[in-house]
Order: sequence, then C-alpha cells, then structure tokens
Amino acid sequence: MNSRERFQAVLAGEIPDMVPVIPVVDGFFAPGLTGRPSDECWQDNDCLAGALALALERFGMDGVVAEMGLGPAPEVLGCPVQIEGNEVPLVTDRLVETRADLEKITVPDPWSGGKMEPVERLVALAGGDSVILGAVRSPFEYAATVRGLLDFMGDFYRDPELVRDLIAACLPATLAVGRALAEAGVDAVVVKDSFASTSMISPDHYREFAYPAEREAVAGLEGIPVILHVCRNSLPILPLMAATGAAVLEIDSPVDLRQAREAAGDAVVLKGNIDAVSVIEKGTAADVDAAVSAAIDAARGGKFILSTGDSVPLSAPEENLAALVASGRRYGKYQGGDA
Amino acid sequence: MALLEDFRQAVIAGDADGAAGIAAGIASEGKASADEVIASLSAAMEEVGGKYETGEYFIPEMLRSAAAVERALQVLDPYLFERRQEYAGVVVMGTVRGDIHNIGKDIIISALRASGYEVHDLGVNVSADKFVARVKEVDADLLLLSAFTTSTRQALVDVLSALEAAGLRDRVKVVSGGAAHSEELAQEVGVDAFASDVKGTLAICRELLGGKHLPGSGGETGC
Repeated sequence: MNSRERFQAVLAGEIPDMVPVIPVVDGFFAPGLTGRPSDECWQDNDCLAGALALALERFGMDGVVAEMGLGPAPEVLGCPVQIEGNEVPLVTDRLVETRADLEKITVPDPWSGGKMEPVERLVALAGGDSVILGAVRSPFEYAATVRGLLDFMGDFYRDPELVRDLIAACLPATLAVGRALAEAGVDAVVVKDSFASTSMISPDHYREFAYPAEREAVAGLEGIPVILHVCRNSLPILPLMAATGAAVLEIDSPVDLRQAREAAGDAVVLKGNIDAVSVIEKGTAADVDAAVSAAIDAARGGKFILSTGDSVPLSAPEENLAALVASGRRYGKYQGGDA
Repeated sequence: MALLEDFRQAVIAGDADGAAGIAAGIASEGKASADEVIASLSAAMEEVGGKYETGEYFIPEMLRSAAAVERALQVLDPYLFERRQEYAGVVVMGTVRGDIHNIGKDIIISALRASGYEVHDLGVNVSADKFVARVKEVDADLLLLSAFTTSTRQALVDVLSALEAAGLRDRVKVVSGGAAHSEELAQEVGVDAFASDVKGTLAICRELLGGKHLPGSGGETGC
C-alpha cells in the first residue's frame, strides 16, 4: 500500500497494512527545513509548498498539512495581519467591535491573490502517493478571531445572540476555504476548532455554540472527508464531536486514547495524540518511541492514524520527527487485525 | 455579614447587576467598611480562580465574574478610592518586542484588575524603552513581561538592561511568563520570578508585594 491507499483504507473502515503516520506537520515546522525564516517562506508559494514536500521526503511520513499562502484564518477574513520572524501570520486587530460590524465579515474568495497556489503545488509535487491534508478554521474559531477571543467568550453570557450571529456569519468562510482546498486536490480537510476545547469552554457552551457550527461545516463539505481538530482536552465533548459527521477526530495529547475511543464510539477514526511539545519538541528519540508504542497500544483495533496532538513546533528536533515515523512503522504493523 | 456574603456570591455567579446593586447600597449607606468590601471581592475572585483550576469554571465564567467585579468597582470607586490606593499594587504589563500574542496577557490583566490592581496595559510588541518609561511614569510596583514565542529571550534581557540603565531595577519587581518561558530561562535572564498561568501569576504577585496584599484575606489573596 502507498500512503494514500493506507489512509483511504482507514477512512473506509478497513485494516491497512500498517497504521498511517500523519503528524501535524504544517506551516509551523516545515519552513525550518528550508533554512529560510518562516516569514519569508510564508510569503513565497514555492517555499511553502517545497518545505512541506521536503518534510514528506525527509521523514517518510504518510502525509502533511498543506497551508494556504499567508494562512487561512487572517487572509480570508480581512483582519489586519502581522508576519514577523519565525511566527506564522497572526491577526493583530479584531474586525468586529459591535453588532453593526457583523457586515464587515465577507465571504472570501480563497483563490484570489494566488493564495491557493501553495496547496496546488504541493498536491502536484507530492500528492500522488502521499496524503495531503488542507487546513481551514471552523466558524467558531473564525468568529473568535474576528471578535477577539476574550470579548467573544465574554459574549457567551453578555450577548449569546451575537455569538450565534458571529458564528453564522463566519460559516461561509469555512465552507469557501474548505471547498477550495478540496478543489485544489487535498485528500481531506482539517477543520480546526482550537478554541472549542473544554480546556477553555464548558461542554455546555460547546454544545450550544461550537457543535452546531461544526455540524454545519461538515455537512457543507460533503464529498470530502473532514478531520475535526480540537486542542487540548476534548474528552467530555467527544460523543458530540463524533456526531458532527466528521470522518476523523484529531485528539490532542491530554486525552487518553482508550477513553477517547470509548467516548467517541467505534465508527469514527481517531488521529493522535503524541504531545507535540513535551515529547516531539522537548523530548528525546527514546521518549518519542515510548509515546508512540503506548499510543498504538492504546488504539488497538484499527481506525487509527498516528499523529501529534497538535502542530509540530518550528524548533522540534528533526531526529524526533524521524523517530516518530520509525517507531510508528515499528509498532504499527497490523497482524491479524491488530497493530 | 449577609450583605457581603450576597456580594461575594454575586461575583462568583457572575451576576453583574446583582453585584452592582449591592455595591450601590454599600456605597450609599456605608453598610460595610472599605476593607470588608475589598476582602469580599478578593475572596470571591479567589474562589472563581479555584473553580477554574478544578474545571468547574472555564474562561467565559472567569470573564463573567471579572465583569461583575468591574461593574461593582465602577460603583464603589469613589468609596474605595483611598483604600485601593493604599493597598493595591501598580502593575505595568505588556508583551515583549518581537511578540504579538495577547491572549495570555489579556487574561492575566483581567484577573489582576478584578483583584483591585491598577494595571497599565502596554499592548503587544512593546519596546524596552516603552516599558521603562511607563514604569517610571506610574511608579510601578510590578512589571509583568509576557512572551509567547521562543525568540524573545533577548527582548527580556533588553528590558532588564534598560531598567538598570534608568536606575529603576531595584524599584520594580519583574515577572516573566508565557508559553515560551521556563523557570530556568527566568533565572538565566535575571527576572525576579516566572509564572506559567493565571493562578501562578496571582500567587507570585502576592508574594513579591509582601505586605502590600489586600486586607482581610489571610494573605491568600491580593494580586
């Protein structure tokens, strides 16, 4: 099996030859492989696509996460953005101060200004055998971005109607970017809903605000598999995350994989959940090996993709990423239906 | 006193109208002393922080309580002004040069303000000179430096050097914090303390200000 066949077998509920290894290698880590500063690479479509292709080649992983030029979140929403040094582009000011500003949120054209070029180039470079995922922010995360995170979360009690209206106004952005990624040829769309984490909001608020938008996003992206990512703790909301219809749930490191499987049910694929910071960035190759062994052991029974829980940081040692893949291959071979 | 207990509960529940109403009664009728009011607010916010730590409260609930405190303080300001000047520390905070992350900083500032501190928020990507100028201008007790990215070590060193050059280093305690920092780095660059989260920051502020903590709290609240 090649990497894409392996990935597609997992999505189809089949047991592949081995556990696919698709860490969250995206625009945070990959530019470092080029030797150029991240801010330069982010503004050079060839560099961004080339960096991710280089990651695939150097580490032999099954897939990477493609990035739109300048990143999907800021660019599509018209928020002011700062790109500096080795940081991914960051929104520096909010778009929505009051309800009247809702009209400033517009449906973006993801194809404008060549922003989809890095994705198309990566698909052309490496999409034959490798898995190319494309990342988009959820309506909930876009809403937090345009409103400012703390004001957004303050609105949960102060003005819940504004929260709902903000999220509704941002849904078209998620769908437009997600559909463009699919059109550009990615194998699946990662809907990142970082702030929907129960490390930040209660399960009740997740159910009230984030979950309905996730469902709508997944439904609106029909025809392309969706990987739903929530940062940090997601255990209390995994049953609802599974009910969104997402094909894969990306689980971060604080969640126990066995408990995750129990909570999410047997139908959905789980992707995770090696700690990107304490293990991959700051640990040793031996730490990586132990974490991978434990994760694969916890995820027996298939429907599993070995991954980091979140984006691999720029300063992660290359040997740890190599160890992640090597250990994934070592422990991840399916024999008689079990890895 | 039932009134103060109601006040405390209103803040914990994030009932801004309730807290402001009780505050108005206190201010107009002098039903509680300034010390009692401040202690009640501090105890309430400590309990809110505890609920956050144990997973009962989340960020929206913290913000709701902080908003209740803010509303109450708007009403109580004239009544408490002298006391607050006497007891609350003056804090200058910002994200250091080269770093434009503001979420962690904003959460800390909300918590500090909710606890009765006078906080001067310098925003993000703040130069060493700007930190020093504001510390001098407001005679700050504490300088809190937020740093999320890994490339900010030099920025911390620059702030400390600038404080030294301005003759202010002995007059202000410096605390660094943020995802990119560690106890080791804090010691290496020479800040007075390091904090990794909201609760830790509050505890360190309290410790660094020593006797300047808010009254009536048994030393457990105040920053």
